[in-house]
Amino acid sequence: MNKTIRISTMVVTASLLAATAQADKWSDQFPHIKNTGDVAGECSYESMSKKDYSGQKLTINTHAVPVIGEPTALHAQQFSKLTGAEVNVIHTPAGDLYSKAMIPFQAGQAPYDIVFGFSNFIRDWKQYLQPVPAKYVNMPQMQDVTQSHIDVNSWDGEMIQFPIDGDRHYLKYRKDVIDNPEYQAKYKAETGNELRIPRTWKEYAEMATFFNGWDWDNDGELEYGSAEVMKKDDLMFAAFFSRSVAYAKNPRVPGGYFFDLETMEPLINGPGFVEALTDWVEATKYVPPGGINFGLGDEINSFGGGQTLFSFSWDDAFVAAMQDDSPIKNKVGVAPLPGSDRVWNRSNKSWDMEYNQAPYIVWGWTAAVAKASKKHDMAFDYLCFFANDANHQADIAIGRFGVNPFKKSDFDADIYIERQGWDPIIANQYADTLMEMEEGSTNRVFPLRVPGVFQFNSAIATGTSKALAGQLSPQEALDEVAAEWKKIVKRIGADTVREAYSVGVALEDNL
Amino acid sequence: MNFKHKYMFLLPGLLVLLGILIFPIGFTVRLSLSSWDSFFPGLDFIGLENYVRLFTDDARFWESFQRLSFLSITTVFLQYILGFSLALMVWKDIVFQRFFRVLFLIPMMTTPVIMTVIWKTVFHESLGPVNDFFSLFGMTPLWLSSEGLSKVTVIIVEVWQWTPFMFLLLLAGLLSLPKEPFLAASIDGAGPIRKFVYVTFPLMAPISIGAIIIRLIEASKIMDTVYVLTSGGPGTSSETSSFYIFIKGLREFQFGYSAALSLTYLIIMIISLTVIAKMLVKLMIRS
Amino acid sequence: MRTFYVTLKYIAVTLWSMFVIAPFLWALSTSFKDFNSVTSGATYIPWVDFEPTLEGWRVLLRSPAQGGVNIVEPYLNSIFVTCFASLISIALGTLAAYALSRFTFKAGFIRNDDITFFFISQRIMPPVVLAIPFFIMLGKLGLLDTLFGLVMVYVVLLMPIAVWIMVDFFNKVPIEIDETALIDGCNPYQAFYKVVLPNSIPGMVVAGLFCMIFGWTDFFFAFILTFTEVQLLPVAIVSLNSSITPWWSLSAAALVSVAPLIVVAFIVERYLSKGNLSGALK
Repeated sequence: MNKTIRISTMVVTASLLAATAQADKWSDQFPHIKNTGDVAGECSYESMSKKDYSGQKLTINTHAVPVIGEPTALHAQQFSKLTGAEVNVIHTPAGDLYSKAMIPFQAGQAPYDIVFGFSNFIRDWKQYLQPVPAKYVNMPQMQDVTQSHIDVNSWDGEMIQFPIDGDRHYLKYRKDVIDNPEYQAKYKAETGNELRIPRTWKEYAEMATFFNGWDWDNDGELEYGSAEVMKKDDLMFAAFFSRSVAYAKNPRVPGGYFFDLETMEPLINGPGFVEALTDWVEATKYVPPGGINFGLGDEINSFGGGQTLFSFSWDDAFVAAMQDDSPIKNKVGVAPLPGSDRVWNRSNKSWDMEYNQAPYIVWGWTAAVAKASKKHDMAFDYLCFFANDANHQADIAIGRFGVNPFKKSDFDADIYIERQGWDPIIANQYADTLMEMEEGSTNRVFPLRVPGVFQFNSAIATGTSKALAGQLSPQEALDEVAAEWKKIVKRIGADTVREAYSVGVALEDNL
Repeated sequence: MNFKHKYMFLLPGLLVLLGILIFPIGFTVRLSLSSWDSFFPGLDFIGLENYVRLFTDDARFWESFQRLSFLSITTVFLQYILGFSLALMVWKDIVFQRFFRVLFLIPMMTTPVIMTVIWKTVFHESLGPVNDFFSLFGMTPLWLSSEGLSKVTVIIVEVWQWTPFMFLLLLAGLLSLPKEPFLAASIDGAGPIRKFVYVTFPLMAPISIGAIIIRLIEASKIMDTVYVLTSGGPGTSSETSSFYIFIKGLREFQFGYSAALSLTYLIIMIISLTVIAKMLVKLMIRS
Repeated sequence: MRTFYVTLKYIAVTLWSMFVIAPFLWALSTSFKDFNSVTSGATYIPWVDFEPTLEGWRVLLRSPAQGGVNIVEPYLNSIFVTCFASLISIALGTLAAYALSRFTFKAGFIRNDDITFFFISQRIMPPVVLAIPFFIMLGKLGLLDTLFGLVMVYVVLLMPIAVWIMVDFFNKVPIEIDETALIDGCNPYQAFYKVVLPNSIPGMVVAGLFCMIFGWTDFFFAFILTFTEVQLLPVAIVSLNSSITPWWSLSAAALVSVAPLIVVAFIVERYLSKGNLSGALK
């Protein structure tokens, strides 16, 4: 599997690099793609220029500027120039994207032709979305998208959302500390353990504690152990799941991670999750002051600004650290999320004492076309154009765009070494880690994608937040979440939730 | 006066208000009897189920109400004391009078959603100026992330933003006070404190009550501050009713339920404001 | 003793002034920073503590396709909607307040006070839940994403304030003024227009100030009820709040957004100083 990707990767990259040599008429007109020029395909600049949408209007709701919002607006401008369409773009903060689209959906209005959002909105949104037509699903541009990202954007085999970005959680660490022989010796002397990339969350905690609260990079400011999304908001649940998969996703126990698929009993208060939450409560001791109120933006500021040793959510903090003017450029490393030394087995109610690691296929940015829109062709053309090879190559090279690898051809270190000046070791580490997550594991966990997903996630955020604040013990907190989940399941109907949840479980169980 | 005329004055405003609001309010009442949520957007009829859930199975709502009472009463009380003091200070005999008066008004004119982001950076525990100052003494107060202090921070920001509201109303009130009672008091040889207690304060009582009530109404809607500063955290320690309704409505999309929450909130507020107004009248207007 | 009080007064006023100004100074300083200056700890003085950049300000004039958010048009929209909605609210609010102050209404258990309270109580309702019904209503009327639709909603938000302030104000204006005018042969409308209204301008100024402030700073309805055609300033500014919170451009935006109201504050203060306002509020 891996090998085929590598080969196809090389072929595509070779063709991309070849294209670099010859500037074409499109890159003269659109400096954004000056590195590659136009890349032939269904939705290339060339193909788009042959369409005529003049006099038509396309309205898009997207994220705030710049992450995803800026590329949306930029490609809108280009699309408009090429096809003559008038494209209006609205920028909405991440937390409000769901409601901003959901209100008109539910009110039976169609102000937006395209809505950007997260892949885990899919179950609530899909009744209002137009599935991606076969001609886009089958085109070569789409063939290049990794299976995980096809899965995340599809519902029961039908592609509903259009893949435009890749997202995942992975471990980011300060290479200049972990690889520093002096610190390695000191760490060994004081803890008796090796200082290396943490393989388990326990190791992570030990190192983070060791490097918490002193100035280990000699910049005159205190540094801390870890920066994490702990603020009770829309993203908190994802951080918790990233920390809990290793303890709770047992490769030998199929049939559901969040719920027991048969009974629809929540599993969220099982020992695996409780262990993870206990770790997380422990983590409040090695985050920067105020760290339990960090949202994603604070995490980016903190790790990206060189304040902490570790961080583990989306790409942004890593990208910020690797920006050209960053004082820690090329001093940060990438690795898969830590695992655990045991994993809960709920069928025989005991811990399996073995190393376990499970990638949580975190939801990420995606876009879709509203069913009620009257301009489906133009809307899909826009999305296809957004993600065409030339645009995508240019976008992933601009950190603030927040467009991350999701095509097989992206997992090639050369792109990052040549275009962004990354250290080759880091670039390889990045490409390998990401590809491993995409294709390497069979023990994956998919995000909860069921009706009323926000109610479930909100309950998780409230419960874990109470535990982090010390209002409740981890077990009490998760019991409360489980009780809340039961009520939600009852309200929405166990069968409805089961039907939706089974779609994700089928992917997890590799059926 | 003629029966017809009084309606010609009242009705345009009243009818416009009713005309615009009748549908939203009616719809909200109907919504509260339905199970409208993210999965099922529609007006089915589930009777009083939402209300039953609210009264029997939602401790979080009632906890948030207690927190709201604490926060709104504290902030409004502080705003009143501070606003009144400031108004007295720039009332007369002060240099740069215009400058101070305008300056004191400005915080009210900032957009809460945006200004609170600035406040968040001010109180940022490791990158903000406040803790930069406290670190001189080796302290790192957790302004946004400890259960007690996060409430204090919310109060500080609310006081900063809305004291000007009190200030303006009370200053305008002071400037319109009649001169005679003060002259009489001077003749009696009253000092500044006696003058305040026996003349200024009683004369200012009616406007004070009005200002306090309207501020209580506004302060109870406190949301942007909580949302931006703490998201109601850590845990649920700074969650207020309106923020909770916001979570249920616009985050979790349980619109039927949040309509029930809103209407319950509305009724409780109307009752308690009426009671508070009566108490204030008793307390401040002794005669 | 007197010097003691005076000193105390100046100390207090100075302290409060510092408290008022502090966040603005911090915002001013932050608006010239970039990511690295922000994340390397609290710094204050450009050139000394950090290398200033104009990036935070430039963002406000760039188009989103260049990573900015153009606030010029939202700025004008905001001014228009705020002024227009305030004018309507004051016009209708003043009339209603006059009626409530001068005449007695009685319908069942409803009295004047109850009607006044009904106006004010419109501000109690948490706005969240009104989002869907307003959306449906404006959708049916074809007024979503239009200036007129927003003005309509804002009138509901602002009129209660105008009514509340103006009732207090009219209660303060001696009823003899009206009576004299009526004896002089005016009909009630002429009396109101020729005599009462000119006397109530200061009250309307204060009411206007409050309406403008609440209109200008509203975020929620502007956010829910508009898409592309009509964007108001707070919504435009918040669209900068991406995964990375740009401290610098948000600071610049906060300063820019408060500017026009400072002008309004000066105007109001003029009325205060001249004593014109005396009686605007009892």
